[in-house]
Amino acid sequence: MTKSRGKQLVICVDNEGYAASLEKRKIYVTLRDPAAEKLDMLRIVDESGEDYLYPKSFFREIALPLAVKRAVLAA
Amino acid sequence: MLFEVVGEITAVETFASGSGIREIARLRRIYGRGRWRKRKGIAEVRLSNGSTHLAEIHWYEAAGIGRKEFKIKSLL
Repeated sequence: MTKSRGKQLVICVDNEGYAASLEKRKIYVTLRDPAAEKLDMLRIVDESGEDYLYPKSFFREIALPLAVKRAVLAA
Repeated sequence: MLFEVVGEITAVETFASGSGIREIARLRRIYGRGRWRKRKGIAEVRLSNGSTHLAEIHWYEAAGIGRKEFKIKSLL
């Protein structure tokens, strides 16, 4: 499943100041960005469809069964 | 905004406007109707941990409403 390698799913728990870009309680795809993670940020594909850096504190990691994760990433 | 733009934003350009902005309906619902543009530029940003970085930033802007939702596209 190389297509989803580096992609993780997170759920948004805070969108203060970014009401148009992020929606609370919604699942977002995060792309691997080690440099950003060192700064406590995540690279998130937001409502614009583009990826931007957001604070880690805006999100929580979610663990889904592999089949569900694949389906969500493919959707 | 969880970072601060320090000083002037340079190389400013508009790269999408109106219906060319995918999230235009959200912008109108949340901030109001206006001639929305999506803009980008280069600026020094100060993160919440106090570190400063040169970054490409993007934001939304409409006349009479102002600039909204500065986002970091990449650290340069």
